[in-house]
Amino acid sequence: MTDTRPTRAMPSLLTSSLRVFDLSLGEMLWSRRTVFLALIVGGPVVISIILRIVDLMNVPAMRVNGVKMGGSSIFGLLIWFLFLRFIVPILGIFYGTSLIADEVEDKTITYLFTRPIPRTAVLLGKYLAYLASTVLIVLPSVMVVYFLVVPIGGGGIAGTFPNLVRDLGLLAVGLAAYGALFAAVGAWVKRPVLLGLFFAFGFEPFALAVPGYLKRFTIAFYTQGLVPEAMPQESLISLLQSFFHETVSPLEGVLTLLVITGLSLALAARAVERREYVLEQ
Amino acid sequence: MTKRTRYFMFGSVTVLLVGLCTGLVAFYTGMPMGAFGGPDGPAELHYVPADATLVAYANVQDVMRSEFRQKLRAAMTDDEHGQAEFQKQTGIDIEHDIDHVVAFVEPGGTDDHHNGMVIAAGRFDIGRLEALAREHEGQVGEYKGKRLVTVVADRDHDEKPQGDTFTVAFLDSGLIALGQTGVVKRSIDRQGGQSVLDNHEMMNLVHDLDNANAWAVGRFDTLISQARLPEAVAGQIPAVRWFSASGHINGGLRGTIRAEARDEQAGQNLRDVVQGFMALAKMQASQKPELTTLMNSIQLSGTGKTVSLNFEVPSQIIDAFSESHRRAED
Repeated sequence: MTDTRPTRAMPSLLTSSLRVFDLSLGEMLWSRRTVFLALIVGGPVVISIILRIVDLMNVPAMRVNGVKMGGSSIFGLLIWFLFLRFIVPILGIFYGTSLIADEVEDKTITYLFTRPIPRTAVLLGKYLAYLASTVLIVLPSVMVVYFLVVPIGGGGIAGTFPNLVRDLGLLAVGLAAYGALFAAVGAWVKRPVLLGLFFAFGFEPFALAVPGYLKRFTIAFYTQGLVPEAMPQESLISLLQSFFHETVSPLEGVLTLLVITGLSLALAARAVERREYVLEQ
Repeated sequence: MTKRTRYFMFGSVTVLLVGLCTGLVAFYTGMPMGAFGGPDGPAELHYVPADATLVAYANVQDVMRSEFRQKLRAAMTDDEHGQAEFQKQTGIDIEHDIDHVVAFVEPGGTDDHHNGMVIAAGRFDIGRLEALAREHEGQVGEYKGKRLVTVVADRDHDEKPQGDTFTVAFLDSGLIALGQTGVVKRSIDRQGGQSVLDNHEMMNLVHDLDNANAWAVGRFDTLISQARLPEAVAGQIPAVRWFSASGHINGGLRGTIRAEARDEQAGQNLRDVVQGFMALAKMQASQKPELTTLMNSIQLSGTGKTVSLNFEVPSQIIDAFSESHRRAED
């Protein structure tokens, strides 16, 4: 006797990914990790409010070597040091590495992998959820910081608006690249957070400081290439370093970051498809 | 997706869209964005033409009363003669009568010709100014309800008037304009019409000035193209479109020089050149202690087409220079 019931075809990769995205976005946004995320992106907003209040009291908000800094310069510093060099990598590490690793740790990966969807869709859906949740938290935070900080010292919004748009794009690309890289690390390695922290806060600053090709194996080198002039010059040594330093063109920077994102996602997908995850009992 | 997640996404996207739309409106209209923005610049900008190549402002009272100026005055005693001569010729005591001045340069009829005008706000004795003008064969008249005093700027060997006439116009109570007659009359005609306030590019630079009590903003390329520089020199000048220089003079001088290059590549090139010069200058300054503070205060910044240089000249530098000058004289 044959079964006459129509067989349900496996949904496409895109449909499956969007389904996983839909489920994961809520999970990601309302998890304990969100408190950490809120604290991290809330920090610059609090700093900006303090700077603005100080400015309203007619006290120079920030001085460098006795020179009062304008609002746009302070905003550039916040974007460079707080967002690009700290918040974006740390979000990439904690969220990117957890995409698969958390499911393994919670022993729930079996339930996901037994669903009639490609395994890659699980990774892609979770990655898209990471990207949406971080972008939707980080970019509005940058927007609030911009409107609070740029008018400090009489600065105007009109002249600096193109820089804001570029910075928002840069942060989105940075979040995509770091997230994809650490998603791959999380899919391949057992203790990904430590490795991620070493890469972002140990290897990258070191590689950027030494001459040679090593810096090309970092993400910061390409994000820096998009805003080379935003790097503050503090001393004669850093001045000389920046005078001789090597940068990439903005187009090359964006293309390389997109290639890093694509390659990392492909590597992560390969690991998820092929790897046998052994759950600890 | 739960309702809570949807609300969160809606809130985030709304913040982004409101911010982007506000910024976009500010960018295209050059608006200071009310509470977000800084001051609009002095009210006298209404008299400045939209196509002005250079606009400058100075808060004379702030500058004159500053500790920095007092020290400079003590170090250079010669400048008082010029001030006394100006007072003798015009009856205006710069130090006490003028609050602030706005000056501009506009393109003239021919390629290599520029016209300028100075608008001064303060306290002026109209009767005395008119009497002085009459002493110099000046003519007193009216133009569109404004009192004008016109004098001949130059005369030939036969004492016949030659070239442009120079006019002092009493624009308002406590507001005078000094410049070529044509320029002054055009400024009076401009009332209620188009002015530099409608030049968004220039006003963006004015809005960005950081509480300065003296500043200048201008079209660098236009000024340089009409400066009749030798081709070899002109070719070496960076592709800068706009520039602004601003300073806050009090105990010392805090200044910012900002340039807007033609494109991002030109901006990067200019930053590289300035960084090179700064590195060399810092190496040189390390041998002269009086210059070290100044050199350490110099900060280069900027993004895209913008190059910005901040610096500070503390009043101690004046002391150090006058001391070394005195020692050299001894």
